[in-house]
Amino acid sequence: MVDLPKKKVGIVACSGEELPEGTVTRLAALKVLEQLRPADTVTICLPLFLAGGEGDRAFAKFYPTIAVDGCELRCAALATEKYSNKPAASIVVSDLVQEKGIGSPSGLRKLDQAGQEAVEATAERMAFLVDELLGKRWSRQEGEFTGTEDATEVQIENEAACACVTGIPIQKVSIEGQEVTLIGLPLIFQQFQEDSKSPSDATKKELLETVKIYNPVPIGAEDTYAEIILHEYAIFCNGKEPVT
Amino acid sequence: MNKAIKSDNKQKVVIVPCSGIGKTYGTVSREAAYEVVENVRPGQTHLVALSLLVLGDEKSRESVSQYPSVTIDGCKLACATKMVEESGGTVAKDFAVLDVYRNHRKLKPKGIAELNEAGIKLAQVLAEEVAEVVDRLDFDAQPKQSTEGCNNG
Repeated sequence: MVDLPKKKVGIVACSGEELPEGTVTRLAALKVLEQLRPADTVTICLPLFLAGGEGDRAFAKFYPTIAVDGCELRCAALATEKYSNKPAASIVVSDLVQEKGIGSPSGLRKLDQAGQEAVEATAERMAFLVDELLGKRWSRQEGEFTGTEDATEVQIENEAACACVTGIPIQKVSIEGQEVTLIGLPLIFQQFQEDSKSPSDATKKELLETVKIYNPVPIGAEDTYAEIILHEYAIFCNGKEPVT
Repeated sequence: MNKAIKSDNKQKVVIVPCSGIGKTYGTVSREAAYEVVENVRPGQTHLVALSLLVLGDEKSRESVSQYPSVTIDGCKLACATKMVEESGGTVAKDFAVLDVYRNHRKLKPKGIAELNEAGIKLAQVLAEEVAEVVDRLDFDAQPKQSTEGCNNG
């Protein structure tokens, strides 16, 4: 198994439609995903742990995950733990508003002032936890933290120097005449080969999505990246015996 | 499959929307669900949160197993429909926001945290379609005229 460095934190919101606090979880998660920490966070719909496939159930093992619940039932935290992996951190809105002295939110469709304050407080707490989790070493094999490291080691930018310092395998590829360094590419290829994924059109999209977890891919260049990465993967596979 | 769905005059149709937070269609599904349970058919419907079904909450499972459900999904993964079925419920009608949008191309929804005007309108159109299904279910649940003897030979 390979162990790719983690750059992102997973967010799972309960989204409870019957409670204003559920609306708070949804809007707060959205704020973190879109505004506060867009480059560091990903999300999954809670029901996909059951309604989705194996890849969806691997979510909380692959990413250290923050469960955000509206009430004490803690659907997001408990279901994530039951079907995927124990969340790395957890927030319960009803507890948080009490702690912050914010009134009880109301309004399912349109939150009142207290609800909006709760969204702000929840989003801030989430962003704080994201930063904290990015500063720890996460093992995808184990689905748990394996120690601590400097956050800068995890948040590697697309500079080869950083990768060298942390010992993260990189690969340089030529994309439209430009040399581009892709962090973790050899490990991604190794992972795909171990999973018996052949270099085909079916694998192309998945390869690109995995690469995008660790590398910025310019908007509009996705197709080109996908083709080049698939080509490189084919070369990688031809050079090595498939793992059985 | 012959599930014993409650069909008395107090029948409440369960409305289960998508709980997605990343796409505008998820927001439309929720808005439509709220429109149905709060404004369009408040007495005949109630909303069950998908997260409770995922957790296996007894009360929610009981609701979907006793009453017919109308699901509103935001994407092709159809989590709401799958979860109702997984929870032992019967889906009387599954709506997909995208299908409704295809029939009302002028109402292009935008926004996730807050829908644009077209999105709200689309949700209202969808809510009306859900209401039609609710009325039909309600009608089917009314006590029948005594014609049943005909089938008894």
